[in-house]
Amino acid sequence: MNKNIRRNILKTVLIPAVCLLVCIIIERYFAVDMVAPAIMALAVFLVSRVTEGYVYGIAASVLSVLALNFVFAFPYFAFNFSIPENIISALIMLIITIMTSTVMAQLKWQEKVRAESAKEKMRGNLLRAVSHDFRTPLTTIYGSSTTIIDNYDHLKKEQILQLTTGIREDAQWLMNMVENILSITRIDNGGVRLKKNSVVLEELINSVLVKFKKRYPNQKVTVSIPDEFISIPMDAVLIEQVIINILENAVQHAQGMTELSLTVHTESGKVVFEITDNGCGIPKERLKSIFKDYFEIQDAPVDHNKKSMGIGLAVCASIIKAHDGEISVENREEGGCTFRFTLDEEDSLSEQL
Amino acid sequence: MNSYKILVIEDEKNICNFMKMIFETNDYQVIMAQNGKNGLTMFFSHNPDLVILDLGLPDMDGIEIIRKIRAKSDTPIVVLSARTDESDKVEALDLGANDYVTKPFGTAELLARVRATLRNSRFQGTGKSVRESFSLYDMEIEYDARKVMIAGEEIKLTQTEYNIVQLLALHAGKVLTYAEIIKKVWGYSDYGSVKKLQVNMANIRKKFGEKPGEYKYILNELGVGYRMNDV
Repeated sequence: MNKNIRRNILKTVLIPAVCLLVCIIIERYFAVDMVAPAIMALAVFLVSRVTEGYVYGIAASVLSVLALNFVFAFPYFAFNFSIPENIISALIMLIITIMTSTVMAQLKWQEKVRAESAKEKMRGNLLRAVSHDFRTPLTTIYGSSTTIIDNYDHLKKEQILQLTTGIREDAQWLMNMVENILSITRIDNGGVRLKKNSVVLEELINSVLVKFKKRYPNQKVTVSIPDEFISIPMDAVLIEQVIINILENAVQHAQGMTELSLTVHTESGKVVFEITDNGCGIPKERLKSIFKDYFEIQDAPVDHNKKSMGIGLAVCASIIKAHDGEISVENREEGGCTFRFTLDEEDSLSEQL
Repeated sequence: MNSYKILVIEDEKNICNFMKMIFETNDYQVIMAQNGKNGLTMFFSHNPDLVILDLGLPDMDGIEIIRKIRAKSDTPIVVLSARTDESDKVEALDLGANDYVTKPFGTAELLARVRATLRNSRFQGTGKSVRESFSLYDMEIEYDARKVMIAGEEIKLTQTEYNIVQLLALHAGKVLTYAEIIKKVWGYSDYGSVKKLQVNMANIRKKFGEKPGEYKYILNELGVGYRMNDV
């Protein structure tokens, strides 16, 4: 905070000073009069733009008026406010510059309000969409368990098993959804920085595969990663989730898939993760919006028979973005698609020092 | 038939119910406490063999309960944590909790953790020196000879690598935090130590022929530590 104020004060003094210098140079070498007030007005405008609040703009305008009077109004290089001409021009200059700086400050404030309300709206949309999506599995869970309780003596064993299997499936879906929402809040926590730790690539991949196998025991994943020791600074919980979400997306949506692979390679300081399937690929019209935010997808017509899938990939995009990485997807000529994302490898030299 | 007595300290009635059910069908005795204060009273009056402790209790922080129990007793504690933050798990483990299960968990996972913790602590009670060797799948460790064999072949490890493997084997089934391992293997810890441990572990894995996704011997708990498998 203190540093901020110091920086603002510095700008308030420096910008008019530089502009004044420019004025002096122009008057000296080009023998042009009357440029000075315009340039000093520009100085005030610039100060208002790059500082926060009214105060600095107004201070800069007072400074400018004083400087103009001192340097360019007769008598030169002395203050003189006794000549009516000087007083009037100083006053007008002051009014113009103060108005400029207040208008600027107001504009900035409005921008801030607009950004905040957009964020608010996003939260609202997310909440609405999520509650809507939660209703379906909750209906299953509530309905199935009630059925079992109310009809316990009349239900066959298989029927009970069928109902409870449904409960488990939908609970699992809710669990995934909650994980994803937690991730969003972890990133979107008012710009709090990620908790990054050095994570060993091989251990990350192991952890992901163990979790994925627990959920999809029958889905084989072919893995290929570099032999050398690779360490990546990351929030491991979040990156794990990115990979699991992409793998899971393939299992659920890549129809006809027989091969699913996860390969990692390094490329000039970047670690490139690729998840490839040989399923049906992604329809062209979906490709563009696949990483778009959840609530944006909800605005489009949704297939209500299917639980929304959108959130998983949207969460991936936000997580990778928060890590300053890149994420993309493309259909392959051979069929299926490849998801690709990059993270920065740890600078091994700085680590050893 | 086992007659282990388990104290469950958990405030959610529904979670209590199903835990009671699965433990009783697996021949454990179960006693329940709905809050921390009761939990501590019951711990000291009933002398259970194992405690299952929810970290998010209404009346007191679970971490505080671990501290109070550890001040007087070595009874194994398995922590239930709803928080996905690794630092909570690490804190609980470093304070003396034996293991953790993250909510939501499956019953199989919970039972496996309880079984491993009980087995592990029973060995601890008899003293480490009693055990001369460790075996897991096709791996054999002879402590006196400081030798590790896999499928009858000796695996050449450096001193440090062996020390890490032995430490984990002596606590098989228990997750040891990075800080714990570093302290016991190197005797000190500084900024670069975790990286040193990770590099050593990568070499051990290479020598053991482990493949990601199929670790058989030493399991990794990302962001927390390592665990020797225990089947």
